[in-house]
Amino acid sequence: MRLTVKNLSAFYGKKQILHDISFPDVKGGMIVGLLGPNASGKSTLMKCLSGENKSKGDVIFDGDCLHVVGRKKWSEKVATMPQTAPAPTALTPTELMWSTARALALPYSNKELSRKIEGIFDALGLSDFQLDALHTLSGGKRQLIGLALAFIREPELLLLDEPTSALDLHWRMIVLDLVKRKVQEEGSVSIAALHDLDLAARYCDLLVLLEQGRVIASGTPQEVLVRDNLARVYQVETEIDQSKHGYTRVDIIGAL
Amino acid sequence: MVNILRPIDMMQTSTLDVEFSRLTRRRILILSGLSAALVLSLWLDILAGPSGLSAGQIIDGLINPQNLELRYKIILWDVRLPDALIAIVVGAALGLSGIETQTVLDNPLASPFTLGVSSAAVLGASAAIVLLPAIPFVPPAFILPVLALFGALGSACLILIVVRLSGGSRETVILFGIALVFLCNAIASGFHLIADADALQQVVFWMIGNLTKAGWLEVAIVACCFLVIFPFSMKHVWLLTLLRGGEAHARSTGINVSRLRTWVIIRASILAAFAVCFVGTIGFVGLVGPHIARLLLGEDHRMLVPGAVLCSALILSIASGLSKTLIPGVIIPVGILTAIVGVPLFLSLLVQRRGRLS
Repeated sequence: MRLTVKNLSAFYGKKQILHDISFPDVKGGMIVGLLGPNASGKSTLMKCLSGENKSKGDVIFDGDCLHVVGRKKWSEKVATMPQTAPAPTALTPTELMWSTARALALPYSNKELSRKIEGIFDALGLSDFQLDALHTLSGGKRQLIGLALAFIREPELLLLDEPTSALDLHWRMIVLDLVKRKVQEEGSVSIAALHDLDLAARYCDLLVLLEQGRVIASGTPQEVLVRDNLARVYQVETEIDQSKHGYTRVDIIGAL
Repeated sequence: MVNILRPIDMMQTSTLDVEFSRLTRRRILILSGLSAALVLSLWLDILAGPSGLSAGQIIDGLINPQNLELRYKIILWDVRLPDALIAIVVGAALGLSGIETQTVLDNPLASPFTLGVSSAAVLGASAAIVLLPAIPFVPPAFILPVLALFGALGSACLILIVVRLSGGSRETVILFGIALVFLCNAIASGFHLIADADALQQVVFWMIGNLTKAGWLEVAIVACCFLVIFPFSMKHVWLLTLLRGGEAHARSTGINVSRLRTWVIIRASILAAFAVCFVGTIGFVGLVGPHIARLLLGEDHRMLVPGAVLCSALILSIASGLSKTLIPGVIIPVGILTAIVGVPLFLSLLVQRRGRLS
């Protein structure tokens, strides 16, 4: 599996939001981290990659070009976890998972689907809440349900828009460990928009740093997370070092 | 912790499967109970009336109409049955229309009536009563429902144009609907100003909502409309359930939410238009019936859609029965009673549920 993104541009009306976005080809088993401050174009890029927003340029995954195959066929391989968690309604997580699977005609029998949902809920610590109404659950739990909804589709390209923003430290690690294991074992690809630079450095194989809809830098965490890039994009003074476990670590000294 | 990547073990027992099946069975039981209550309510509604027809005579008259005296046959077959059945079909149509509109507009106060369908029907009815127009090929007795229907369908067309122009934005649709309500009310008020006392009384009577003018033709038209549209609604139950998880989630799965919203508004408006054109504006049923169903059955639209249909039909059927029995010899317009029946029922369920949650 390989994802190619070349010269991708997107517009809201006449206003250009993304400007010729390109980054190195992504191979199966890799996680790509999209970094950048608020309004840098991360969520728009996610929506363009999922086909939800219209765009120009080349988006090719596993030999299929998004603009050739169309949204419907593209959606068979791609699942997105949107930035917004599922709405706090009286619906239960199980009903939401079940209706998603059935609305998308996923090929599971009722028994298979039950076990599948149960396995995902177990992995995400949701087993005790599977028949509780969504409005009784915390924002973090609902964010995990958003991830479960993406997992149930068994995507080859998993798009995660700030998947850990409402989670505590423990669940951030669990979720990203799970995503890492999933893409490595299945050979699939995941793209995650993240705000936490240390987590991005730890879990992502490739980072793409965005500012005002343009790619400022792309490459390995060591190549992208450098003082000048972070000073330019985030306007903060930093020191970059390596943790004793071998991860790139960003020490933020202060705002510039 | 279970590895979600492992193959599915079909031999392992699933507690979720057991619990979800139990929940589904409980909801099917509630639907069965609602169906039984509806049959009972229909029976009591047919029994209600001042003519002294006994239960035995009614059963005999239903099986062998020729055995009944002519006057009882007319009372049973031309008055009580159509009145009782129109209550059920109109309630069912308004309930279906209400639940779907609330879901696609993600607004608990939304109904085809908040979108202007009933106000436009009132405008059409007011024009028919006050101006007494002659329409070619339409018998005088049908001019009022035909103009009310045209008004309601006209408002539905305007809403659809707005849906198309706004790209399916729910806020725009609701705001336009409210603006349409004010516009139709303003024009209808103009008709009321120039109406004489008799015409004004007729308009007010029609606006309150009344089941007693419906015959078999009206029952058949509303029933056909409901039976044609209901399967399309049931076909969309998974999508509607999914949509309750939020529009962002639904859009992220690749579902065309704008198209779904357009289809639902088309069928909900048509249903509401046909329902109100014969019996007047009984809007409250379409609002509260779905909420009662939601309290009883949750958000799974496989159960909620038929539940809203049954609850709304039941409320209108009970109101129809009460309208004939509360004051002996007087038929109270059913529109007055729907809120009196529906609000206590709704509030008691709401209080019970709050009690359970706390």
